[in-house]
Amino acid sequence: MFWNVTLELLKGFGATCYIFLLTLVLALPLGLVIAFGSMSRFKPLSAAVRTVVWVIRGTPLMLQVIAIFYGPYLLFGITGFNDRLLAVIVAFVINYACYFSEIYRGGIQSVPRGQYEAGQVLGMTKAQIFFRITLVQVVKRILPPMSNEVITLVKDTSLARVISVVEIILVAEEFTRKGLIWPLFYTGAFYLIFVGALTLLFRFAEKKTAYIKV
Amino acid sequence: MEYLRVEGFRKKFSQTEVLQGVDFSLQKGEILVIIGASGSGKTTLLRCLNFLETPDEGKIYLGGELLSDASVRYSDRELRQKRLKFGLVFQNFNLFPNYNARRNVSLACELLAKARVRAKKRELRAAEKGLAKWNFGKILREAKAFQREEIAKSRQRAEELLGEVGLGDRGDAYPYELSGGQQQRVAIARALALDPEVLCFDEPTSALDPELTGEVLRVIRGLKGRTMIIVTHEMAFAREVADRVIFMADGKIEEMGSGEEVFGRPKSEKLKAFLKRTEEHEW
Repeated sequence: MFWNVTLELLKGFGATCYIFLLTLVLALPLGLVIAFGSMSRFKPLSAAVRTVVWVIRGTPLMLQVIAIFYGPYLLFGITGFNDRLLAVIVAFVINYACYFSEIYRGGIQSVPRGQYEAGQVLGMTKAQIFFRITLVQVVKRILPPMSNEVITLVKDTSLARVISVVEIILVAEEFTRKGLIWPLFYTGAFYLIFVGALTLLFRFAEKKTAYIKV
Repeated sequence: MEYLRVEGFRKKFSQTEVLQGVDFSLQKGEILVIIGASGSGKTTLLRCLNFLETPDEGKIYLGGELLSDASVRYSDRELRQKRLKFGLVFQNFNLFPNYNARRNVSLACELLAKARVRAKKRELRAAEKGLAKWNFGKILREAKAFQREEIAKSRQRAEELLGEVGLGDRGDAYPYELSGGQQQRVAIARALALDPEVLCFDEPTSALDPELTGEVLRVIRGLKGRTMIIVTHEMAFAREVADRVIFMADGKIEEMGSGEEVFGRPKSEKLKAFLKRTEEHEW
């Protein structure tokens, strides 16, 4: 019985991990692009980007998931779009990229101007200054807020169930219909272990960048 | 013969005119010291020379040729070329915290070497055009050998420069492991690595504890023979090393002359008052 439940839950957890990893891999670079957009000196662009970030951060992720899945049909009558997992990924990537962008922005703006100027005086290009000098310093500074956001993402994956994507909690809920309540609490262990591993990973990364002191 | 000439520098930040027409010239190998109260425009002048600020008006001539003209908009690439003519040592060092001392010094050289290698690759490729494809491997090998050589050279040079500033044994240390005086010496080595025509110092000892200023000043003294522009509050040092002194007040050059003239026989009231103030401060 226990093993059966564990196996079933693991299947659901697979979907959880899939959403988590894919969102992370896509949202991290997209967030950087958005961060640059919101810091752009071209006013219309930065205003547009900031508005989007405001809307995305200002509305519930659950609503965004629903909107992305049902929106195309309800608003434009587009049919044939019924890949639920894809809808979840799209909504998550956009949502998390916006949150990440603000973390990046804070990190980038906290690097002292003198660092850019020192690079400029040494004849470096903007790209060289960013990749060789500021990026590592930014990474060091954003690790703590990033770990917060990433841990939140682990648990937010459970929102996928609002459009019936089978993830771990939905699986556990199926068991409650059969009169088993403990699998629902058991899912907590999965999250705890996953988040524990991430915490260790972030702690390791922070140690690795400890030599950068500013 | 004049080597560097600055003509009609003007710079306005919103309402305040920080530079109100600054002209001066300098011979090769001369040391120019700029003194003046804070807010007199000294730092802005240096920043304009290093293209960190663009003056509203003004021209720079170097070696008899026009280097820059404020009325012309230069591309990023051109600006980088022009910046390389000048070096700048900052008040608060601005070392790169993510690199050790050696890499801080060699990084810019390595990057320039890489750019040269890219150019060389293109050149080789063009030369081999029309020849058989098997030549491609040879081209790449040659380019790679060239790159290794160039990078080894920059590292070697970094070692030498660290030795020159008395930190030959601290190449592996990260900036946070060094004292302020050591950090500033690394910063000087870094500025020297690109062998600029004119080396500028923006109050190089202001951020240091008094007992650490000596080692930095000693290094700067050792660079005599280079064309240098030094903004400083260290009056004794200024008087000692300067071939020429400029006293700035309210965005203008109030008085200019040899160290002896400016410190020994000040003419303007502003300069007299300034010297008196700093003297009191020093005692």
